[in-house]
Amino acid sequence: MSRAARLLTPLAGLAGIAGFLGLWELAVVVFDIKAFALPRPSRIVSDMASNPGFFVRNGWATAREAGIGLAVGALAGAVIAVPMAHLRVIDRAVAPVATLVQVTPIIGYAPAIVLWLGPGLGPIVVITALVCFVPFLFGAASGLRSVDPDTLELLRSVDARWWEELWRLRVPHAVPYLFAAARTAIGLSLIGAALGEWFALVDEGLGWAIKQGINFNAAPQVWGATFTMGALGLAGLGLVGLAERASGLGRPEPGR
Amino acid sequence: MPGFVEVEQVTKAFDTRRGPVVALADVELSIARGEIVSLIGPSGCGKSTLVRLVGGLLAPDRGSLRVDGQDPVVARAAKSFALAPQSPALLDWRSVRDNARLLVRVNRGAERHPVLDDAAIDDLLREVGLGDFLDARPRQLSGGMRQRVSLVRAFALGAPVLLMDEPFAALDEITRAEMRYLLLRLWSHHRSTIVFVTHSISEAVMLSDRVVVMAPRPGRIVAVETIGLERPRHEAQEDSVAFLGHVATIRRALHRAMAS
Repeated sequence: MSRAARLLTPLAGLAGIAGFLGLWELAVVVFDIKAFALPRPSRIVSDMASNPGFFVRNGWATAREAGIGLAVGALAGAVIAVPMAHLRVIDRAVAPVATLVQVTPIIGYAPAIVLWLGPGLGPIVVITALVCFVPFLFGAASGLRSVDPDTLELLRSVDARWWEELWRLRVPHAVPYLFAAARTAIGLSLIGAALGEWFALVDEGLGWAIKQGINFNAAPQVWGATFTMGALGLAGLGLVGLAERASGLGRPEPGR
Repeated sequence: MPGFVEVEQVTKAFDTRRGPVVALADVELSIARGEIVSLIGPSGCGKSTLVRLVGGLLAPDRGSLRVDGQDPVVARAAKSFALAPQSPALLDWRSVRDNARLLVRVNRGAERHPVLDDAAIDDLLREVGLGDFLDARPRQLSGGMRQRVSLVRAFALGAPVLLMDEPFAALDEITRAEMRYLLLRLWSHHRSTIVFVTHSISEAVMLSDRVVVMAPRPGRIVAVETIGLERPRHEAQEDSVAFLGHVATIRRALHRAMAS
């Protein structure tokens, strides 16, 4: 990639977001959409600027819940993926259960989790971990299996132990898959945490702020919290990109 | 006197959807310590299967194999084999230096023979012209350079037997010729026993003490040509009458193998 392209690539992301918000702003003006139905982005931002502490405080609460839930889900997915990648029978047994977890709506099981664990951070983390777990599970299992057969045979030719095979070959192969899973899971973790806040009887977080805004018909609060979630998602994606680059194990750079 | 590698009446079949396919039938081969033996033959004649049986990576259905008097599985557990597969099989996320040390590092301490230490492996990498690339990643190297790392990795283990399954097949002709002389140079220092699979007659003749010609359906040995060229071998020998005679003999044996 040329120096100019390297400098311009991050700007392309900002330009994409600016273009999207610009079209939104234009559509509201051109089609004369009422603010209670869909406010202009500039209006949402100015409302947020009038009470930034509210969004920072609640954004931090949701980010913390999402981060912990994501880490728990990633760890559980990666650990369970090891026997799945090793034994087809375990893969066959676990995959349908994971798919069931993935397709069951959070609102179906969230109240039960709150009942079991009680209100607070616990059920939010569990709900978030459950929604994040599946992409990590399938991603890690695919990555652990995707090793080069020649390299695998090379290690076996010197009677490598199973854990050496795992650590020296399979885990590094799985890392790009885990980063891809993390990209999907960032958004899921924020949605999981926000929805968890709806059920977990907490009084902070962006999910709580959205619920409260709906109850009190406070559209600026609803949209401000939504924008804050979007910003958190983008920040999370940026962090994943940085971690991927630092690891040296990421996906190959796409072409021009 | 038994050979260093002994293959006795070995038969191996694989189950396929169309039923069992006999990859090797009643194969007999004895290889002396320090000998270079090339296996040549059309695709499907069981060359790679024979290499994997010798290396303890596959078990025979019938017959027996011994390596220095041991079962190949026991020899494999003692890291007696250094494999050089067709692809260089380098770890993309590790440096050239780390890749060259891989076989020494894995299952460390299981070997019953001396292995090269880190400094000696670095020296070997310098000897094959990779001195400026010790910290480079494999993707920064050409195909020939990657294959040189693979060769150094194999010799670094100091294993008594090198199993080389078409290691130069993916290289262009000029690089391939360079690699065979590089292999001979490294072998002259270490004198390992080498079982070398190839499709190239001239490569087999130039490298080997004996060339084993194999035929398919079922995989079997149909001819063994002893190469009388003096060692150390050099490029000028490729124009010699003796070299060309061996090439012609093996070519005829291959034609017969393919017609059979």
